[in-house]
Amino acid sequence: MKLRILVADDHEVVRRGLCTLLQAHEGWEICGEAVDGREAVEKAKELKPDIVVLDIGMPNLNGLAATRQLVQHDANCKIIVLTITDADQVIREALDAGARGLVLKTDAARDLVSAVEALQRNRMFFTPRVNEMVLAGFLEKGHAATRGETPSLPKLTAREQEVIQLLAEGKSSKEVACALNLSTKTAETHRSNIMRKLGLHSIRDLVVYAIQNNIIQVQTSPTSSADTSVA
Amino acid sequence: MTVRILVVDDHPVVRRGVKSLLDKHPDWEVVDEAVDGLEAVDKVERTNPDVVVLDLSMPRMGGLEACRLIRKKAPQCAVLIVTQHNSTQMMREALSAGATGYVVKSNIARDLVEAVEATSQHRPFGLEDVTPESADHHGGLD
Repeated sequence: MKLRILVADDHEVVRRGLCTLLQAHEGWEICGEAVDGREAVEKAKELKPDIVVLDIGMPNLNGLAATRQLVQHDANCKIIVLTITDADQVIREALDAGARGLVLKTDAARDLVSAVEALQRNRMFFTPRVNEMVLAGFLEKGHAATRGETPSLPKLTAREQEVIQLLAEGKSSKEVACALNLSTKTAETHRSNIMRKLGLHSIRDLVVYAIQNNIIQVQTSPTSSADTSVA
Repeated sequence: MTVRILVVDDHPVVRRGVKSLLDKHPDWEVVDEAVDGLEAVDKVERTNPDVVVLDLSMPRMGGLEACRLIRKKAPQCAVLIVTQHNSTQMMREALSAGATGYVVKSNIARDLVEAVEATSQHRPFGLEDVTPESADHHGGLD
């Protein structure tokens, strides 16, 4: 029986590239594609793929929030997150969310097949760079604990994470309510709670927070040097 | 007649995606791939493609500089810029560098085939309304 894979990336050319790469492997098939995290969650529930490959930076619902929802729905869900950034916080959040594989998007052509193979064998997969980061983060965490420091990142609920992404993408409370099937009043309550929890005072603050914490990603302008983002 | 195409992007997954879109066309052949502008210029000289599908943001040499060199060394070769940058300023620079076509990556599935068809016949695609003069006149449209 073939290994069934769901691929989610908002950039069609990247999605096509990923599908071509995976389909070339004997015994694997792409059972579905999704253009954002919300569609990925819906399709995963419907198609029950063996493995889900999720881009981290997608509109409407990013890859981390989608991972959390998928794992909440099915704790055995095998998810590989593709990331364009090697920020420690992103790695930590992806692991916390329940991802079993993490691949830098720039290395996907080299590492994605190995990652799927690892998950197929019920193992986890991290690229060497991610392994280094995880180890460094683990060690630093240990040092911090020794020093009596405790990380104090504010915890948002899964729903608040969805709301903050939509607000940061420029949607109004009414549009957020519509997208999430909530009343406008409930969406506004989520918005107030988010602002309070994070100590934010304006939408501008919220957008900056969302960018700094990789909830949304911004396109960089081209320079003579390489652009680190894929597509 | 077969249209011979060189695909240039520093991300292998994107190159695969572009190639899979081009492979659907029976009369087109992807003759080679390149990972940056320098390699693109070298491969243009060696493979003499009809069209170069060229990313803008790449290491060592970006797409604009590569475009200028390609057009200088192989004027018969058309350059189609494929980029994530949807900006009039960038289109103007691409046009000035000698590009014939411009496709934004978010529209690539819709536009790539038509763009390659046009540029292979040296017809503009995506740059029809962009000229250095008009962009300057309007002070930029971004």
